[in-house]
Amino acid sequence: MNGQRHATMVAAATLALTLTPLIGVFEGLGWTVPVLLTITVIATTGSLLRAAGRGQGLQTLAMCAGLLVVLTAGFGDGTALLFVIPTPDTFVHFAFLAGEGTSAIVREAPPVTPDGGILFLTLFGIGLVAILHDMFVVGLRTPALAGLTLLTMYLVPVSVAPDATAWFWFILPAVSYLWLLADDNLRRVSAFGHRFTGAGQLVSQRFPSPMARTARWSAAGFILVTLMALTVVPTNTSGFIDRVAEDFRGGTDAGLGDVNPWANLSGALNRPEAVDVLRVTTDDPNPRYLKMHVLDELTSDGFGPDDYEGGASLDDLDGGGGTDVYTATIENLALEAPVVPVYGNPSSGFDIDGDWSLDEDTGVVVGDGSDMSEVDSYSFSYDDPVYDAATLADAGGMDPDDERWEENTRHPDVPELTAIVDDALGGASTVHEKVLAVLDYLSVSNGFRYTLETADAGNDEAILDFLETKEGYCQQYAAAMAWMLREADVPARVVVGLSQGSRDGEDWVLTSHDYHAWVEVYYEGPGWVTYDPTPSAGVPGSVSFPWATEPQPEDEPTTEPGASTAPSGSPSDGPATAEGAPSEGADQPTDGLTAQAADGGSDGGSGFNPAWLLLLVLVVVPFIPAVWRGLLRRRRLDPARLTAKTAWDEVLDLALDYGVGLSDSLTPRQAAGVLGQAAPGARDAANALGSAMARHRYSPHGADTAGLADAVRDLHSELDKNAETRRRYQAMLWPASLLLKLTARRAEETSRLARRSARATDRVRAAVRRPRRSNSRRDRSVTGRP
Amino acid sequence: MTFESSPGQPPQAPAPLSPQEFKATAEGILTNVEWVIEGKSHTIKLALAVMLAEGHLLLEDVPGVGKTQLAKALARSVDCSVRRIQFTPDLLPSDVTGVSIFDPEKRDFVFKPGAIFGNLILGDEINRASPKTQSALLECMEERQVTVDGNTYKLRSPFMVIATQNPVEMEGTYPLPEAQRDRFAARLAIGYPDINAELALLDRREEYNPLDALRPVADAEMIVRMIAAARAVHLAPELKRYVVDLVAATRTNAQVRLGASPRATLQLLRCTQVLAAMDGRDFALPDDVQQLAVPVLAHRLIPTTETTMGGGDTKAIVSDILRHVPVVSHPGRF
Repeated sequence: MNGQRHATMVAAATLALTLTPLIGVFEGLGWTVPVLLTITVIATTGSLLRAAGRGQGLQTLAMCAGLLVVLTAGFGDGTALLFVIPTPDTFVHFAFLAGEGTSAIVREAPPVTPDGGILFLTLFGIGLVAILHDMFVVGLRTPALAGLTLLTMYLVPVSVAPDATAWFWFILPAVSYLWLLADDNLRRVSAFGHRFTGAGQLVSQRFPSPMARTARWSAAGFILVTLMALTVVPTNTSGFIDRVAEDFRGGTDAGLGDVNPWANLSGALNRPEAVDVLRVTTDDPNPRYLKMHVLDELTSDGFGPDDYEGGASLDDLDGGGGTDVYTATIENLALEAPVVPVYGNPSSGFDIDGDWSLDEDTGVVVGDGSDMSEVDSYSFSYDDPVYDAATLADAGGMDPDDERWEENTRHPDVPELTAIVDDALGGASTVHEKVLAVLDYLSVSNGFRYTLETADAGNDEAILDFLETKEGYCQQYAAAMAWMLREADVPARVVVGLSQGSRDGEDWVLTSHDYHAWVEVYYEGPGWVTYDPTPSAGVPGSVSFPWATEPQPEDEPTTEPGASTAPSGSPSDGPATAEGAPSEGADQPTDGLTAQAADGGSDGGSGFNPAWLLLLVLVVVPFIPAVWRGLLRRRRLDPARLTAKTAWDEVLDLALDYGVGLSDSLTPRQAAGVLGQAAPGARDAANALGSAMARHRYSPHGADTAGLADAVRDLHSELDKNAETRRRYQAMLWPASLLLKLTARRAEETSRLARRSARATDRVRAAVRRPRRSNSRRDRSVTGRP
Repeated sequence: MTFESSPGQPPQAPAPLSPQEFKATAEGILTNVEWVIEGKSHTIKLALAVMLAEGHLLLEDVPGVGKTQLAKALARSVDCSVRRIQFTPDLLPSDVTGVSIFDPEKRDFVFKPGAIFGNLILGDEINRASPKTQSALLECMEERQVTVDGNTYKLRSPFMVIATQNPVEMEGTYPLPEAQRDRFAARLAIGYPDINAELALLDRREEYNPLDALRPVADAEMIVRMIAAARAVHLAPELKRYVVDLVAATRTNAQVRLGASPRATLQLLRCTQVLAAMDGRDFALPDDVQQLAVPVLAHRLIPTTETTMGGGDTKAIVSDILRHVPVVSHPGRF
């Protein structure tokens, strides 16, 4: 394989490896075939044109044509001639596909099905990047620049689906970039015909050199260190380490729409666009929360689920004894979960496909091998009793001899927390008094604030951090309340599910932003009673429970920046944009319409996605050197400050940019002669510039600047005309003169430092040097010798 | 015995010569000389430059390439007195400087000037003379005066010694010591003419020797004015720095045992001025310096034994230095 073909292959392979994180964005692996096909077609086209000795411009054009053919063949939809030749109709169709793809990107959350507009846009983008990549790696031989294209490709999945892109997806792109650099350097070194071993022997190209081994080890070490640094350094806290940890726990492996059955006491919410999960039709005027998981295992990290036992038939459901029985029909839009979301106390008439049973302990409807992804729609009857505060106040707690007592009050021993709870409860004695005391403690009036991210106050226990910083979201509120109650010997557990959602005509639509966590407390008699300690301002579609008057927020939480920006997500709240007012309205449980939930649209609709800014920056970055160089030229040729010196500086830089070697030992006239040879059309201009510089520097009268700027421009255009294509692009995008300036500055600093340290060393040495007794000639001449 | 000495009056301040006049005159002399020596314009130009820089010239080449012709043609083109000394081992210093002999009529010693009392002295095969005689000549070259019997006699102005020596034939010669080579501003080799020049030479010399037909185009006074004009050529600080850098580089070069002297620096600068003036400029350029560096510096360097053994010569060393010393030294670098 010759060098060019080998480099092309490496370029294509590295790009393909960098695309592997897309696995998290798309469903299945069907997308890999067209993507690999696109990359292959572009690489082959470029390689063939190169082999035919065509210039970079033609190569790029041909690769663009190759991309067009691939797109036409794949998405022409019958508009093309002979399947591959695009017609105007094809482009109209492309435009339609692009529009469809754009709206699909806005609408859907990963993983998405790779078809239609999205696949078209993906292939189009990858194709463009592949062309650039090939140009950088093979055409211009600047593999370092190709890092930018690889970075662009890596950032797309990472920014689109940060949750789906696990940490280890970083390794392949990093390896492929190192491969690219190593391959190019090997090619460069091999150009001399031989390679060196570390011992200084010449070896053939295929000989396994010990230096190569060292390079491989250091590359592996570099990747390892980078990964470790990423793990340790708290970058943009979306919790790289948390995600790594979660991956190991298997926490996020739940399918789309399922909730992570955890109520962490610390963490951060970061969730892309909202996805519609369920559509509910119910005769309940104000439905409450949809219960999915019940978490009753408490560790110091938070609440987790016990193993559901199932077993009991759904026919055994008998409701909770409430007077009003409602019927709900729920259409499954996107939910994949092993549990069925249900309201209140379901009673008989549960109509659902598949094998489902009831975990009697928690009331969770759990699948016996069935999953919600198989269920399109289900319906059931339920009652959702409204308790009277007075009744609850009179009700007692669970009997400590009850078999459920142990598992619902077990908690880690945290002495500091015991003190806090004792203090918060004061003289509360009944269950209800304790509940109200804890609710009061967690209220906004006590300084608690809804934020999307918890802070670390340096305590050993996450719950102490939360209680000290008083910042968190529903998971922390629910977990803290349940724990505090357990601390006070009240059985309590955390429930995870969906909040009320938003009204859509007669129906309720629940999105992935409506995931929520709340608390159930056990009263002897009424049984498990629901409470929601999270400030209603933070939770769209939150419901107030009349038996626990939640203290109203005195200061309007909408002013909190943490709560009012950025879409939130798993597994709870939606974006909290100025939703305080509707939530207040939700205090009247009869008014179902007030609990308006905001779906992701209100955020996504504001139209600015940081990913675009990032892409824009990435597109602009390669042109920064060109712009800088252009500004420098303009400043030098500015008539106000133009001298023969500035014109000559520009000439020298041009020579550097276009690879015309001008040694320091050449006089201006000689340098002009060399330039005249490199650009025969501008020989006169070069000579004029050289003479002007000579006069400027050596003549007492100085030089005339008339016509120098034009001479520089002549020389520039002539050099450009005579340069190879590669050199021309390089001179424009990556001017060698700029690079030299930067390195020269650094070298100067280094040498200055070295001189300073040498001086210091000399001084120290002189200070500590002892007078030496010696018979050297110098001493002899002083003392004389017989 | 009279104590006769020349009063040493300063020469009359000559009228300033414009660069154009300088250039025209110099070109006149060059054309004249080139009529005799075909195809060697660069060597002739350098020879004239040395003359106008008040330096002395060492022509080192094999016999028969026109060393003496060049010296004679140069002398004839300038209307001034030319003396020729053929150096032999038995030549005495007094033959060069002159001698006091007793005049019976005046009953006194009278100084009979030697061959050195001319404007242009052609010293043929200088390495054949004994060191004693060589050193007598060299004193005259440096001091531009002759001291005989305690009397000092000023030499004429312009004064220039053109010495020739044969590098091949070393039998019975006294090679010039380094200190004496240093007195010569430049060493030039003429080299064989190329085919066309040699053909032209044959054609021209069929009937007569062109040297005989040569007419002077400038007189001694003009030469003095030109010398003065050349000294006025502007030397930019950067240029002086470049010359100093070049000379310093010969002293630090690893292939060189002894580098060029400060006298070399001075003479290099003066020749540079002349070359610039001959180009019609009133300021000197590094290009001028580069043309002169090899002729002015190479013969003063003493290469290390290793270099000599390796077949290296000092011309190559100076060329190498020219390729490496930056024209503008960067203050930031060391």
